[in-house]
Amino acid sequence: MDSNQIAEIIIAEIRETVPELAGQPITAQDSMAELGVDSIERSEVILAAMEKLGLKIPMVQLHGARNIGGLAELLLAKSAG
Amino acid sequence: MSSTVGIEVMNVFGGMASLDVRELCDHRGLDMPRFENLLMREKTVALPYEDPVTFAVNAARPVVDGLTAEERGRIEMVVTCTESGIDFGKSISTYLHKYLNLSPNCRLFEIKQACYSGAAGLQMAVNFVLSQTSPGAKALVVTTDISRFALADANAIQEWAYSEPSSGAGAVAMLVSDTPHVFQIDAGAYGNHAFEVMDTCRPGPDTEAGDADLSLMAYLDCCAGAFDDYTSRVEGVDFKESFAQLCFHTPFGGMVKGAHRHLMRKLYKTPPAEIAADFDNRLGPSLAYGQRVGNTAGGSVFVALAGTIDTVDLDQPVRIGLFSYGSGCCSEFFSGVISPESRKRLGSMGISAELDKRYRLSIAEYEHLLSGRETVRFGTKDAELNHQVVPGAWPETGHGDRLVLDTVVGYHRNYIWI
Repeated sequence: MDSNQIAEIIIAEIRETVPELAGQPITAQDSMAELGVDSIERSEVILAAMEKLGLKIPMVQLHGARNIGGLAELLLAKSAG
Repeated sequence: MSSTVGIEVMNVFGGMASLDVRELCDHRGLDMPRFENLLMREKTVALPYEDPVTFAVNAARPVVDGLTAEERGRIEMVVTCTESGIDFGKSISTYLHKYLNLSPNCRLFEIKQACYSGAAGLQMAVNFVLSQTSPGAKALVVTTDISRFALADANAIQEWAYSEPSSGAGAVAMLVSDTPHVFQIDAGAYGNHAFEVMDTCRPGPDTEAGDADLSLMAYLDCCAGAFDDYTSRVEGVDFKESFAQLCFHTPFGGMVKGAHRHLMRKLYKTPPAEIAADFDNRLGPSLAYGQRVGNTAGGSVFVALAGTIDTVDLDQPVRIGLFSYGSGCCSEFFSGVISPESRKRLGSMGISAELDKRYRLSIAEYEHLLSGRETVRFGTKDAELNHQVVPGAWPETGHGDRLVLDTVVGYHRNYIWI
């Protein structure tokens, strides 16, 4: 799996968690905060993506990504490690 | 050796003034759907003549007033739990000791670990009682915290965003002994989870800083980790079945909702509708007072406990699971039992009625307080407090049972009863 595929997983989880965003285009360059995903929802998206990837690590290790693509890179690095 | 221990008497003090959080969000132009997610209604705003000492003493006074002279003499330890200290050396416990007229044969100190301080203080007191080094002794544990939003400028307000409406002030006083009428601790039933992280902090005397996302992540990691440690120490625990009610550290209600959902998904893969119903049922009562005072930091999990005891249907003893988290970070999941007796005892404090008596600040009055001109900063050597800063908030008549700050002379704070 590459980071583009992981970004797709994240975007699917955003759509699932925040149905209000239906119809709005979302790309890997977007940041969840700027899309209007609140902090609780952001954590849920990340938890759901971790679950999909079978990743069991502390959430704090996934902090700091600037956008969806950055989060995908982090998730990829942690999955590989 | 008896292992009966816990909270004998408890009280929450939510200050003298409050602000309607919805009005504040309107005023700041914050998004309303997001505001609803905070699950907040009001917050306590500390007036300039209210400081961590007055909050602590005003919470504790009704607790010790109900004791006989002999019982009061058995208070052999006073632990203040705070991240709002007023001196690097001298503890707030010394002021508490003075204004509560406690025995000189007493340990006085103050502890810190962000919002975990109250749970730390309670566990130290519990272990002091369990150790039986002084059979029959009592310990007074008092959490006291105020948020520091003085020194406002436009940038700061921007940066606070949703932490401004949720940050409150309040104190919780707990008398810990071997006669736990209010909350009987399950001795030995606890779990910790801790690691170093820079999520939120108070790096300067009057400043707060933090990263809301990182803090939420650490909270969720800790919630799962502390409960996991709890299950490793206590046989046959089931998060869904073992606790009739739950009380979590509550920065704002929405965060507790997120943590609960995380645990229910992780442990049981519970569907969303069932999670929501379980939240309303087992955590709804715990929000009763938190949504009126805001985040009280070290005391927040006990403000939640008081809300549960005062509002839940209670016709038999039930077990409560508590989760405390303090940034930095350290956390604990522990448990205990409440009964109809708890309701009777805590009810006599009239917490809700006292909250109703707070003066409701206008936005203009709040903004004036925020300007910080009247605030006694950390390290102030001399000051005389203006008790008419918000004229309506100053009680016209009093019973001499409410402590306020009067002057600071050579760093020494002088208080008066009004």
